[in-house]
Amino acid sequence: MVALTAPPVERPAEPRRRNKPSRRLSPLLLAFVLVPLAVEAFWVFWPAIQGVYLSFTNWDGISPPTNVGLGNYTEMATDPVFGKALLDTVIWLVLFGGVSAVGGLAMAIFLQRERRGVGIYRAALFTPVVFSLVATSLIWQAMYQPDGLINNVLGGLGLESWQRSWLSESGTALYAVIVPALWRQVGYVMVLYLAGLKGIDPVLYEAATVDGASKWQQFTKITLPQLKSVNSVVLSVIVIDSLRSFDVVWSLTKGGPFHSSELLSTYMYATAFQSLRLGYASALAVVIFLLAFGVIVTYLVRAFKESDS
Amino acid sequence: MSIDGLSRRNFLAGLGGLSAAAILGGCATSASTGTGQAGGAVTLQSNLSAPLPKAAMESVVAAFNKKGAAQATLNTVASETFRTQLPSYLTSGNPPDLYTWYAGSVGRSYAKKGLLLDLSDVWSGLTDYSAATKTLSSDDSGKQIIVPITYYWWGMFYRKSNFAKWGVQPPTSWDEFLKVCEALRAKGIEPIGMGAGGTTPWVASAWFDYLDIRINGATYHRELLAGQHRFDDPQVKAVFAKWKEVLPHFDKSATAIPFQDATTSLLQGRTGMMLIGTFFADAAPKDALDDIDFFQFPIIDPKVPIAEEGPTDGFFASAKTPRGPEVKEFLKFLATPEAQELFIKNSAGTVLPVNPKAKDSGTPLVAKGRKMLADAADITQFFNRDSSDALQPTADAALLQFFAQPDQVDSILATWQAAAEKVWQS
Repeated sequence: MVALTAPPVERPAEPRRRNKPSRRLSPLLLAFVLVPLAVEAFWVFWPAIQGVYLSFTNWDGISPPTNVGLGNYTEMATDPVFGKALLDTVIWLVLFGGVSAVGGLAMAIFLQRERRGVGIYRAALFTPVVFSLVATSLIWQAMYQPDGLINNVLGGLGLESWQRSWLSESGTALYAVIVPALWRQVGYVMVLYLAGLKGIDPVLYEAATVDGASKWQQFTKITLPQLKSVNSVVLSVIVIDSLRSFDVVWSLTKGGPFHSSELLSTYMYATAFQSLRLGYASALAVVIFLLAFGVIVTYLVRAFKESDS
Repeated sequence: MSIDGLSRRNFLAGLGGLSAAAILGGCATSASTGTGQAGGAVTLQSNLSAPLPKAAMESVVAAFNKKGAAQATLNTVASETFRTQLPSYLTSGNPPDLYTWYAGSVGRSYAKKGLLLDLSDVWSGLTDYSAATKTLSSDDSGKQIIVPITYYWWGMFYRKSNFAKWGVQPPTSWDEFLKVCEALRAKGIEPIGMGAGGTTPWVASAWFDYLDIRINGATYHRELLAGQHRFDDPQVKAVFAKWKEVLPHFDKSATAIPFQDATTSLLQGRTGMMLIGTFFADAAPKDALDDIDFFQFPIIDPKVPIAEEGPTDGFFASAKTPRGPEVKEFLKFLATPEAQELFIKNSAGTVLPVNPKAKDSGTPLVAKGRKMLADAADITQFFNRDSSDALQPTADAALLQFFAQPDQVDSILATWQAAAEKVWQS
């Protein structure tokens, strides 16, 4: 066999690009970049930086702030309410995040295949997302009342001993607040996963079926790895949503009774606008920011490393 | 279902909508603060958002505008919003001129920061007002900062027909009070309603206030709230020891429902009595009001001078107002018997006028309440009014925890003291 050794062809010099972009940016383009940047800087970055500055001060919102250095942060170490709020936030993150991720994925898989009437179920699960959380809270508040729907149903079933003042007992308040939040979040996560599932090439499943893979193997070896990119979105959404969960807690319990459903977000609000200790509240806000940022960055770094290797 | 439905166009449209809303929101806050020039109408920011008091305030403003000396416009805000926004109102570049607020310690912190208009020259014309009211309306330096127009009382309210049906008499002493509770309990009635759940946890503070002024006296009570005593003192522990004696007689929903719902329970006879201010009548049906009576919070220690809670409501003004003369004109009108009678006529009629020359609504209930306050050796305002709005949440947390864990009094009070210290120091 004749080896076709083509003489090394002098590679032609890079052809001159015909449409060399002009060095000058079009003013319109510049405006598209700079105007939103300016708006963002004014409405987001500047207040955020001010918040960090305030976290090193003592400020009542009226007189000029006085510098206290790290005083607000050292106070947190000995503040029992901060400890309780941090613990509740972790419980919230795990329960709210875990259940909504697993529940959302399960619902998405369940409702993925086109069947008759499946649209109705999807719509039903997604409907709570459309409601404002405050409206949602009002409905749930009525159900949780001492003589509300839940206790009436329990009474009707002969389970009087299970009846509680759900929102005003320290043992049940936090969990009673998580339920309405979950009721809403599951639908949202389901939609994200549905989108991810639609993006998986059906050929993969066909090949797996031909190879005799079981449903469970298909799920663990195809579905989950293929959903990796959606997972990172879901995780970010869940972490951010749990750390900023405020409206539902504030409208149902205001973090009470006696701080038993206190989250970092509600504690921050109460410190700022009820106790008027805006410096300490800013320090709490910085902690919330670091937590959210930390969790998400760690995850993203790991995700990128995995995709590189 | 198509996920692609969320197209870029929709997304951008949504973003546009959001930013439009944000910009509009910005406009709304800046517009509400008025034009900032001298002349023009006096802007009155009111937290009287319940239908009856709101209508009453509207009638007073209309009457003032008809006189023509100056003009005023009323802006009613939900009271919770009002409370949280008040520091922002007062510190903004262009604040509303006049505000509804409370006499007592709760306004003085704003005066200390120079945010309130000195109303001493209005007060020099209020010769009918009592000296005690004047002291209550003064800041720490002795200037008057608030012009009160109405006050009301707290009491143990009950339905006369129900007490007759159950065969019990209004008690006067603590022992009689316990006996009434036991009698009602035996009949299957929840003896004491409260309504410290939902959005009104502060109602529980009335019990703390009354037990403290009955056991330790009003002077100690005010000093305690000012940070001169500690919440874990033995005197305060004595308050909770007394409270524990009646704790089993509280309605089991006491900390689960707001006072409006607790009022309904009282009127429907599910609970026997309730320690509440007369404002509860704003939400009560008119026919039930004729059947309502109250008794004085029972005397515990006869040696302690009798004090009662008599919260006083009024108006203060921003120091930055460019309409000083018009504001004062309006305040002078509010202090007249004419304005106060008009307000009372158009409200539920259970508040009392501060001007001694003004007539109250004249019902036997109001006459009895007025007499109780007039006979008292001392008048306290209410927990937050005698301290600050910042201290109130610390009390709410402590008192609700006491209801859930009455055996933990010592640790509850230690936590309360720690939380209160932060408020006093800030």
